[in-house]
Amino acid sequence: MDQIFLVGLLAAAFRLATPVLFAALGEAVSQRAGVLNVGIEGMMLVGAFTGAWGAVVTGSPWLGLLAAIAAGIAMAAIHALVCLYYRVDQIVAGIALTVLGLGLSGFGYRLTFGSGSGGVRIPTFEKLDFGALGQVPVLGPVLFQHHAMVYAVLVIALAQWWFMARTGWGLAIRAVGEDPAAAHASGLGVLRTRTACLLWGGAMAGAGGAYLSIAEIGNFVEDMVAGRGFIAIACVVYGRWNSIGVLFATLFFGAADAAQIRLQALNPDIPYQFFVMLPYVLAVGALVFLSRRSRLPAALAQPFVPPR
Amino acid sequence: MNWRFPLAAGRTALVAAAGAFAVSALFLLLAGQDPLRAAFVMIGGALGSLDAAYEVLTRTIPLAILGLGIAVAFRANVYNIGADGQFMLGAIAATVAIQATGDLGGLSLPWLLAAGAVGGALFGALAGWLRARFDASEIIVTIMLNYIALQFLAWLVRGPIQETVAILPRSNLIPEPAFMPDFSDGQTHAGIVIALVLAVIVFAVLRHSVFGYRLDAVGESRPAAEYGGISAGRVIVLAMAASGGLCGLAGAVEVAGVFHRLEENMAPGAGVTAIAVALLARLNPLAIPFTALLFGVLTVGAGALQRQMGVPFPLLWIIEAVVIFAFLLAGVRRTRPA
Repeated sequence: MDQIFLVGLLAAAFRLATPVLFAALGEAVSQRAGVLNVGIEGMMLVGAFTGAWGAVVTGSPWLGLLAAIAAGIAMAAIHALVCLYYRVDQIVAGIALTVLGLGLSGFGYRLTFGSGSGGVRIPTFEKLDFGALGQVPVLGPVLFQHHAMVYAVLVIALAQWWFMARTGWGLAIRAVGEDPAAAHASGLGVLRTRTACLLWGGAMAGAGGAYLSIAEIGNFVEDMVAGRGFIAIACVVYGRWNSIGVLFATLFFGAADAAQIRLQALNPDIPYQFFVMLPYVLAVGALVFLSRRSRLPAALAQPFVPPR
Repeated sequence: MNWRFPLAAGRTALVAAAGAFAVSALFLLLAGQDPLRAAFVMIGGALGSLDAAYEVLTRTIPLAILGLGIAVAFRANVYNIGADGQFMLGAIAATVAIQATGDLGGLSLPWLLAAGAVGGALFGALAGWLRARFDASEIIVTIMLNYIALQFLAWLVRGPIQETVAILPRSNLIPEPAFMPDFSDGQTHAGIVIALVLAVIVFAVLRHSVFGYRLDAVGESRPAAEYGGISAGRVIVLAMAASGGLCGLAGAVEVAGVFHRLEENMAPGAGVTAIAVALLARLNPLAIPFTALLFGVLTVGAGALQRQMGVPFPLLWIIEAVVIFAFLLAGVRRTRPA
């Protein structure tokens, strides 16, 4: 592998990891609080559509991003309502949320800017310009030629690690996910804490979806999230519910995705479909090797009934 | 999940119908359409003519068989989201098997169907084994396997088994004796009989066999089942094999009954619809053909809505999500802790 190949690969790894990292960081917090959300895929889809649509309507990708975050929060609110307050099965509710996101994003898209025959131009984020830093060999393209959202999510990962590990609120979230009865007895609002964590997960999934449509690709396509929501859930397991671990897990997947795209071009005699499969095969493989060794939050997916 | 409460099932259906109507009306208004007119278009489009009714029946067949497959897994609390992938593997195995042997006369169709079931069963069992042996979440694994199957199929129909003229991404036609008997000049086919027979068989197996008992035991509580001497791991693998086998059979039935060859996108979105089909039937196999018929009507009706009124087809998925939420909420019992 020559240097140009490797530099391109690492740069692409950051770009491709970003949407998954957004979603996975949010999911890690939800799960730490004891709520399983397998509807991430649907939230990302809604975020991708709302982000693009918001950008088209307002002409600003920033307002599009805000709209996507709001839409992600709204989706999470549904999950919080039915799972926390009506205590339905969290897995089935998550499946419903995925289907809902598929429907809402496809319906909205065909009703709005997807209805015309001509392509609508979606205002997208510009890549940040670091001036001279971007010209530094190797490090420049790998680290200093990305969209603002790529740096934002890296900062969020570090901040979230600090928040979860070092603050009282982080401790409260972990307590609620490990032993909700004890947390309740010590005066913590279990359902309120869980709701807040779920909404954070929704905001992050919405932002991850918006990154796809208004930063990375610059377009909305139906079902464009293509399983990234589920890979995000897998990355939470690989990262052991730790923000830094999740960061590395998603970077690994970003690198694998970047590698398969490049390997396609380098090996024209191997059918490209086998390269496209690669990240999905890796996700299964990693689950197989790491699931047994991981320790789930003790109260994950268990409903909590506040005693009265 | 209890067999003995038709009342509860009626309540689910009522809540689901009310929710689906309310939400559909809301989204139709958003699309600037009159909900009442839309209802007429939907019903007329799905049941207004013989042609439409045949199409509904043809759409119902895979939904019913896939729904049965989902129900088997869900009863054991194994969340098989991989119906689409197992369907594809079934269709692939069926096509490859019949093309490998060529015309087998009267045995052609049974051979094709059996191969499809085995293909789906192996793919399902793989996910079950990874869950039982390595604790790998079957939800994520089956979704990942869906994407893998999609690419595998895409490669096959462009590579090793592409049609001889090599124009479209699809296989050659299968030998004619392997075609499913059809009705009314091929407008629908005998797959509906297979679906109904399967519903009875699956009901009998779940209700009256040891395997069915073990599924329910594992579904209620894995530790309790283990304590009672049931190997939960084995039950999970078998549940996924049976579930995948049914989904694979659905793929084989589509090959034999509708397409007569292997293609891409033979049943887009069917795996997800089948989850709604199974849940609305409260996982009762005897109810599944009816809920599948309902979703067959909705699918064809949503198509008519798109063509005649320009209402986006994804409305169907929104309705499906509402139905699943309604199923969940109808099952909520207001419990007060002691």
